[in-house]
Amino acid sequence: MKKKVLVLFMAFAMILTMGLFTGCGKTETSDEATTFTMGIDAEYPPFSYIGDDGEYTGFDVEICKAACEKLGWNFEVFGVNWDEKLVQLDADECDCVWSGMTILDSMKEAGYVISEPYYDNTQVILVKDGSGIASSADLAGKTVAVQLGTSGEALLQDDLADLAGTFGELVTCDSFLKCFTELDSGAVDAVFVDAPVADSYVAENEGFKIIDEGLGAEQYGIAFRADDQEMCDKIEAAVAELVEDGTYAEIAAKYPDIENNLLFLQK
Amino acid sequence: MPLTTMILKMGEGLGNTCSIFILTLLFSLPLGLLVALLRMSKSKIISGITRFFISILRGTPLMLQLIAVTYGPYYLFGLTVSRNKLIPVVIAFAINYAAYFAEIYRGGIESIPQGQYEAAKVLGYSKFQTFFRIILPQVIKRIMPSVTNEIVTLVKDTSLAFTVSFQEMFTIGKQIANSQTSFMPFLVAGVFYYIMNAVVDFGMGKVENKLDYYK
Repeated sequence: MKKKVLVLFMAFAMILTMGLFTGCGKTETSDEATTFTMGIDAEYPPFSYIGDDGEYTGFDVEICKAACEKLGWNFEVFGVNWDEKLVQLDADECDCVWSGMTILDSMKEAGYVISEPYYDNTQVILVKDGSGIASSADLAGKTVAVQLGTSGEALLQDDLADLAGTFGELVTCDSFLKCFTELDSGAVDAVFVDAPVADSYVAENEGFKIIDEGLGAEQYGIAFRADDQEMCDKIEAAVAELVEDGTYAEIAAKYPDIENNLLFLQK
Repeated sequence: MPLTTMILKMGEGLGNTCSIFILTLLFSLPLGLLVALLRMSKSKIISGITRFFISILRGTPLMLQLIAVTYGPYYLFGLTVSRNKLIPVVIAFAINYAAYFAEIYRGGIESIPQGQYEAAKVLGYSKFQTFFRIILPQVIKRIMPSVTNEIVTLVKDTSLAFTVSFQEMFTIGKQIANSQTSFMPFLVAGVFYYIMNAVVDFGMGKVENKLDYYK
């Protein structure tokens, strides 16, 4: 009996050490050059997502990577929990939040360093073909879905509260995929969503229609911690170089859904 | 995305999922026993305090406790959050599960008839010997089914680590699902969890059989 207990114990200890090693392996990377950790929402195509090969990609990710190469910085990606992105930025888990992020006045008031805006966004209404909904006025009494923590949700509670008041019901989902699935299955009549996300969804799926009334115009930017003005300046300078040498336009060409709204390419 | 890439990518997260699982069990099982003993302490103050802590840990969502343990030290004391999320995640899980295990242990210990303590005393066993030689072995046998229940739940609860963006299997699955607008990763995650629980079930069944030496 004692032997068995001993064997069991040793087996357990072995499993544990293995667990510890896999857990700690990541922290032991050497840190010679500056490592820039980009905070992204890995669930936000086409700005930041997991590509077909299983690696992080997207317009923002590619630009940031190219900018880090210019600066000679090591580039790392950290997948934030979007509802807590600013907490995670504050807590030093990433050095910026750069992931199709809408610039809000509340961020500036809270002291975050915000880059120049690089993208013009509007909110659109995604509906099914033949739903009979042609404008926001038709949404009266209908069920509308929006993603938790997005600017669309904030707008419906604030600037567009009057519009939201006419809805039959406003459903909050925790991801775009769930919003779209609810729409597809008929559980909701419309989804209130960022234009590029709707564009890329419509490009891949048939039977949907976008209603664009230029609602809630807003701009995307990069957020840094309050004391990181210098880092923001360096990144902005590197991005300016990318625009200058054409790399920026080259990367943008890979993302036709958003290309037309990129501010740096309109100058 | 090809299915193999998806499975491989989520498989990478499986190591982290297993780390949470194994480390949580390793810390919470002994800690639970300690908490159970404090809870049954003759001192009203000690048992009262322990009872209060158990009620908090069982009465608030594990998701909230994860956020509190991970970001609490930063907001309260300005400490930086460790980039190795495994540490806060395991602390939160271990404390939470210890509270549940403690109540299971208590149920087991209190189910042993008082007469056994008296008999042990007559036979000259010390309190320490009585507990570890006579009471605990019987308790372990009685509580096995409830403990298995908790362990199976723990396998599935590891998915809560996504709240603090620990890259475990379900977090990655969620990211792929939204990146590729596909429900496939959720199905893959379901299969992964089921296989893990089948292994747990099998292992715990074996242990229970081994412990059945009086039947």
